[in-house]
Amino acid sequence: MTETAAPILSMRGVAKNFGLQTALQGVDFELARGEVHGLVGGNGAGKTTLMNILYGMYRMDHGELKIDGRPATIRSPAEALRLGIGMVHQHFLQVPGLSVLENIVLGTTVSRPLTMDLTVEARTISRLADQFGLALDLNEPIEGLPVGVRQKVEILKALYRDVRILILDEPTTNLTPQEADQLFSTLRQLVSRGLSIVFITHKLKEARRACDRITVLNEGRQVVTLPGTTDQETIVRAMVGDRLDPGKSVLFTGSRGDETDRVSPKEVVLALDRVFVTGEGPIDRLVDISFEVRSGEIVGVAGVARNGQGELADAIVGLETPRSGTVLFNGHNAGHNAGLLTIAQRFQNGLAYVPDDRIRDGFLPTADVISNLILGSQDRPPLSRAGFLCWRKITDTARGLIDRFHITVADLSQPAGDLSGGNIQKLILARAFARQARLLVAHNPVRGLDLAAIEHVYQELLALKRMGSATLLLSENLDELMLLSDRILVLYGGRIAGTAARGAFDRYELGRLMSGAGPTV
Amino acid sequence: MPDRPCESGFLLRQASGGGFLPAKRPLTWLVVGLATFGITVLVLAALGPDVPRAIATIATTSFRTRNGFVQTLLKLVPVSLMAFAFTIPLGAGKYNIGGEGQLLAGAIGATAVGLFAASLPRPLLVPFVLLVGVVMGSLWGFVPGWLLHRFGVHEILTTVLMNFVALHLVNYVAADLWPDPFAGHPTTIPIAREAFLPLLLVRPPLHCGPVIAILVGVAVWIYCCHTVAGFELAACGANPRASKVFGIDVRRASLSSLMIGGGLAGLAGALEVAGVHHRLLEGMQSNFQTLGILTGLIAGGDPRRVLPVAFFLSVLEVGAGALQRTMRAPIEVVFLVEAFVLVAVLVSDRAGRWRS
Repeated sequence: MTETAAPILSMRGVAKNFGLQTALQGVDFELARGEVHGLVGGNGAGKTTLMNILYGMYRMDHGELKIDGRPATIRSPAEALRLGIGMVHQHFLQVPGLSVLENIVLGTTVSRPLTMDLTVEARTISRLADQFGLALDLNEPIEGLPVGVRQKVEILKALYRDVRILILDEPTTNLTPQEADQLFSTLRQLVSRGLSIVFITHKLKEARRACDRITVLNEGRQVVTLPGTTDQETIVRAMVGDRLDPGKSVLFTGSRGDETDRVSPKEVVLALDRVFVTGEGPIDRLVDISFEVRSGEIVGVAGVARNGQGELADAIVGLETPRSGTVLFNGHNAGHNAGLLTIAQRFQNGLAYVPDDRIRDGFLPTADVISNLILGSQDRPPLSRAGFLCWRKITDTARGLIDRFHITVADLSQPAGDLSGGNIQKLILARAFARQARLLVAHNPVRGLDLAAIEHVYQELLALKRMGSATLLLSENLDELMLLSDRILVLYGGRIAGTAARGAFDRYELGRLMSGAGPTV
Repeated sequence: MPDRPCESGFLLRQASGGGFLPAKRPLTWLVVGLATFGITVLVLAALGPDVPRAIATIATTSFRTRNGFVQTLLKLVPVSLMAFAFTIPLGAGKYNIGGEGQLLAGAIGATAVGLFAASLPRPLLVPFVLLVGVVMGSLWGFVPGWLLHRFGVHEILTTVLMNFVALHLVNYVAADLWPDPFAGHPTTIPIAREAFLPLLLVRPPLHCGPVIAILVGVAVWIYCCHTVAGFELAACGANPRASKVFGIDVRRASLSSLMIGGGLAGLAGALEVAGVHHRLLEGMQSNFQTLGILTGLIAGGDPRRVLPVAFFLSVLEVGAGALQRTMRAPIEVVFLVEAFVLVAVLVSDRAGRWRS
């Protein structure tokens, strides 16, 4: 490697269109040797697109790319790796049946392909792990490891392939605060040993903590590159333009604006009593869950992903029948015994649902926008009468929702599968809020949304609360839960590991509960 | 955005299995047309007959004589109904390959009524014949639907197997149960005159089947695009898991889609019995199932396109028959053309998407 004055990576005037949609336009990006460079921006700002171009997933329409000051073309991830560029995706690409070691060497040439004796590789990887402070047991099977550890595996995977530029796409999404802290110190170790890192995030606090410089993208344009020490307000302004007033925002003032309101006791909308749920296999996925959600209340459920949140939502919506215990919804028994409500009946009784896995559980990809907006409400007035759809009413409703939630669509009959991830999420949220539900079950509702959209969703959630609806908010984002909830339950291993009431939230205490360490006192 | 209410194009499209949309560009269609024509010419040239005359025969037989046109209309009836029998379940993501068996079941039912309920007054008898045809066809669709609903047995397998059941049943009914001893072929005795479909035209005879096919087309369009049930069917086809999460009974939807499809195929069978053959006869299913599937796919599942496409294929079929009679060219030439139209339509769809 020749030491030159040129930055390790420079991209100039990058433009990319998808059909008629402009994803990127004249973006400049420069990565200095040994820096952590934050790439921030809202949905559809083009962060991931820009990095996917660098990693060879897409070709750019215009623009130039230089590595070490020399022009380069990257046509595939394999070519990117050859140039020393690695990427850790938001969703890890790991094979469940294999060990940590096997996952790391997968796809590389091994020294003894016939016997698959990986001693040599194991030695190299252990040395790398020690060097970068990523302590790992290489022989453990990959499944069952905490997300934080699996992320280390991904980073090691990149290091093993000799990368010099490491791209991390929203790396903190599923991490506890403690795990995130660890990641940030790992990043420092990496850059101190000569790596250069691109850190994609939409969380400003993290970007300011972890990064030396921050490049802000807004709607496919590079707005500005700032030092990591810049104050939050300046970065926010650059990110959202004039779409949001930070002064009045729930998100930025960090207050719901109702701290002084007396919460009067209201009727119980949802009550779980000693609920046990068995998933596939013999183990209970939910153990002895009891809690209530009252009208006008937001109850948050915290926890690292896959600690029972999915099963809890399933049990309430009716996708999963509890092995024992009762789920009372509006006074109706929706549990395992007599009086079981069907999913359709729960929706008729005022349930609204924002599923976690939006593509699998909430979305008709080949259907048009309008059909997606009415799914779940199609079977009763005002959208249909006597079994016939009222298209005029449906059209009006759909237009209203598109305006209210700022969903970017060409027209109502556009196939919804063509929308961006953020717009799909907005569509699913719009559908849920349109129902003016008695009970809203929202699982990671703002995942993938930009700041202005997140702010809007928070406002809608608070408006729903004021109207007297009950909300169960399942989220992996502690800030969000602490901001919005009246109470927070922490799920760990399918049990309620602890609860905290508003006014007594402590993020590190909650983080401890989330990691299964139990309360300190 | 246009101001008129948006009638979901998705619901139309979904009937073809979702996402598949024939290209809208006229240029693409021109290319498809020319390519199809070119291949046809090549095939005909390879087979030997006088190419221009052969093509003229295929294209004009339906329009040169009154008889040709009537034959075409008569062909259109089962072809379009069988197309619906295929596309409606397909909209819910279910493959009904049992149209043939459902048609025969409907024909058996219609024959039984035509033979044994002949004392009913005619205004009741004819609808009863058709109704029993529908019920029998939908029973043939119910069995695979129920096996799917109850045990998760794949409907492709069961609908195909139900075809064999129907074929053997026809054999039994026509050869052993109510056979016509004077026919040289397994055939039942004719049904009562009172059970014949009313005629629109006497010479050559044209029964009122085409009118029924048009009414069915309108009904299917209303069902698919304007009813909650049609919406739910399409939603299940697009994403069964999401449909379930949002309260739609997915298994019931697929069961009812197979029953509706079966019912329409059964109606086709009843119309053939009451309108054309006036008896049950072995082999009466002809190649209607294949033509129906072709029609459904070429029409992209859009119920408004099924009738025109069915007409187009009927023209080819009638032309092919004439080709075989007058020029002794093999009828398979026309199958080749039909298959190629389908391939070209499918390819043009993909090509249209790649370009955008």
